[in-house]
Amino acid sequence: MDMNQYLSMFIDESNDHLQALNENMLELEQAPDDIGIVQVIFRSAHTLKGMAATMGFEDLSSLTHQMENVLDLVRNEKLKMQDFIFDTLFKALDALQDMVEDITEGGEGKSDVSSIVASLQSIVRGDFASGGAAETSAAAPAAEQAASSAGISLDQYQYSVLEQSISEGHSVLYINVSIREDSQLKAARAYMVFDLLERYGDIVKSNPSVQDIEQEKFDRSFSLYYITQKEADELQSMIMNLSEIESADVTQLDHETLEQLASAPKEAAATVAAEPEQKKAEGKDAAPAKAEQKKAAAHHHGSAMPSRTIRVDIDRLDVLMNLLSEWLIDRARLEQLASEVRRSDLIETVEHMSRVGSDLQNIVLKLRMVQIDTVFNRFPRMVRDLAKSLDKKIDLIITGAETELDRTVIDEIGDPLVHLLRNAVDHGVESTSERIAAGKPETGTVNLRAFHSGNHVFIEIEDDGHGIDRDKILKKAISKGVVTESEGAAMKDEEVFMLLFASGFSTAEVVSDISGRGVGLDVVKTKIESLSGVVSVESKLGKGTKFSVQLPLTLSIISAMLIKVGAEKYAIPLSSIVETGLIQRSQIRQVHGYTMIPYRDAHIPLLSLASLFDVPDYDENAEEESEIVVVRKGDRLAAVSVEDFIGQSEIVIKNLGKYLPAIQGIAGATILGDGQVALIIDPNAFIK
Amino acid sequence: MGEELKVIVFKLGEEEYGIEVDKVQTIERMMPITRVPKTFSFVKGVINLRGVVIPVIDLRGRFGLPESEYTDQSRIIIVTANDMEVGFIVDSANDVIDINSDIIDTPPDVVGGVKAKYLRGVARISEERLLVMLNLSEVLNRSEIIQLESLEG
Repeated sequence: MDMNQYLSMFIDESNDHLQALNENMLELEQAPDDIGIVQVIFRSAHTLKGMAATMGFEDLSSLTHQMENVLDLVRNEKLKMQDFIFDTLFKALDALQDMVEDITEGGEGKSDVSSIVASLQSIVRGDFASGGAAETSAAAPAAEQAASSAGISLDQYQYSVLEQSISEGHSVLYINVSIREDSQLKAARAYMVFDLLERYGDIVKSNPSVQDIEQEKFDRSFSLYYITQKEADELQSMIMNLSEIESADVTQLDHETLEQLASAPKEAAATVAAEPEQKKAEGKDAAPAKAEQKKAAAHHHGSAMPSRTIRVDIDRLDVLMNLLSEWLIDRARLEQLASEVRRSDLIETVEHMSRVGSDLQNIVLKLRMVQIDTVFNRFPRMVRDLAKSLDKKIDLIITGAETELDRTVIDEIGDPLVHLLRNAVDHGVESTSERIAAGKPETGTVNLRAFHSGNHVFIEIEDDGHGIDRDKILKKAISKGVVTESEGAAMKDEEVFMLLFASGFSTAEVVSDISGRGVGLDVVKTKIESLSGVVSVESKLGKGTKFSVQLPLTLSIISAMLIKVGAEKYAIPLSSIVETGLIQRSQIRQVHGYTMIPYRDAHIPLLSLASLFDVPDYDENAEEESEIVVVRKGDRLAAVSVEDFIGQSEIVIKNLGKYLPAIQGIAGATILGDGQVALIIDPNAFIK
Repeated sequence: MGEELKVIVFKLGEEEYGIEVDKVQTIERMMPITRVPKTFSFVKGVINLRGVVIPVIDLRGRFGLPESEYTDQSRIIIVTANDMEVGFIVDSANDVIDINSDIIDTPPDVVGGVKAKYLRGVARISEERLLVMLNLSEVLNRSEIIQLESLEG
């Protein structure tokens, strides 16, 4: 069967599931006892496994299978989540993500995951926790006893030694000793037991280990496998004769009981951890437990809601958008004709059509809007990993993830935001020790906010770190020759901070693999500007830093001022126009070779569109007055002289076609109501 | 035996040229062209072809031939090649013929002032009729233009 037609669906859904897995894992990390979340995770993993197997991606499905095994134990409360398991599962998720990416790029999704598989398997076997066992037992004293009575896990060698001893007629004993609760010298008592036993035979294995017992890292009982010539009863009385021993169970083992004991602990060890939880839930706290169950049920319900959305190929939306913009052009033409014909019923119909058209345009634009969550959703995981690798404690607080942005912007904004976030985590927030020294809370906070304002969307990344050191930046900028010392001294703080975005500028003292990779914030700035956005910084030394990114809501339709020069029409985006006006040509001054005009209390450069674009049939010098458009880039202003204003209009941005190289000062083209093409001016290019 | 080709025939001056029909999107009469500043002189500007903005070049100018006034016969041939849509202004376009690729010979160095690298070959249709087949991907080669630009600039 040809699977290609299903491939894109598979990729989409896999990404969804991976995302869901990531999110739920993070949630679970906050509430490790919530079995409800585990259920959701399990189901996602299960679906993913099924899809991967159907599509023939063996590695993908086998890795998910191993994850499922672990999750299954957790789900059935046979295993308790802990750091090691989280880390392994996250690693597995990363590997899955890589595979899906590989498949997306046409690969076969193959990858060497043997080490992850091995750790997952060891979790399932229950023997990963040799280091963590002490912790578990300390946390759950009841569990310890259960473990000791259930037996000790043996490795193959120990098992075969015991088995051989039984065959050779030695008596193999399983001994469980409890020391009196009021004993002050548990380790010493245990030592006496060991000493006694060692005189009459060999201890094959003890639980906890001898070292742990010596360091008193056990509750009050321990158990061991013992090979001796003595009888069980005799040994028991000998142990009981030692002081402060509460009980000593000695069991004689044969082949069968040995096998049972040796295999039991695997399960026992797993059940043990969950047991206290269960007991608690079953006990007097029945009510909260029920509430918790309810919560879990609600959780399921939430995710099981049938989705009210459909997937649409982005190309189809683009086609729809193109058709609509063609229609917009016809509409403008019809409006023009109707006003010429002057028939009232025609005018009425055209007006109605215009209104419907505007609604249609809004809907189509909305269709292209995507929640910024699709970009934000990978950040919690990223920040968690970064913070962990830097050994910092950081809370990422996301607000406004439901803010919507045009699809084209969404696709491009991810990388710059990743850069800014990494920057905040790496350079913004101080190390834990520095924070404590500065009297700040140990855990740093990074706020990621998105919100609408007017025709723009703002994204802010704010950390409560040490802020930007003005002097440090100036020193660096001066040493790199970006500014001179006197220039630097006169600069406002904001201007100094903007130096961070100058190319080749990185102030980190230590180049880390997280954000100091040579390419710095200049790349971020370029990218954001290519999206017609603006980036700015605010910072207070010792208090923190805030990066703000301002983006246009949509890139495909903008408000523009249409102007005329000679026979040619141009469009200037309204977003960069400060005002329009009229000047006497006698006011024009030549200053240092620049043409300047007085504007408010200052002089600003005057640029002639006719000469910039070599417009053939217009000579403004012959006029007495000139129409000007004052445009802005950042806080710099310039005036552009034109022949006439036509008016304001919503225009659809089109590109000039691939054949033409990028032309300075031209941002694209649009089609006017009369069907003619007008070029869109990029005033930013005029202001240096 | 070579393959059968359907070819659009157009004229620049007295010479007849051919482009395979599957590379041609449409043939349009002359229409208003919006001038694009700061670009090559043979780029006449952009047109609105049913909602899509398409750059238009004067094929005479592209080949370094003297440009002439547009007439009623002038046409814009919209071609698609190398993922680009471009309009060619030609003196006239009024024929579609079938030729066999076998009759296409390698072109001499220069045909009617057009350099050989822009040509795929010359097809002899009859004793007195020659058809010059264009090599579209060379004609639309931008890297060459960019080089040209840096030489001029």
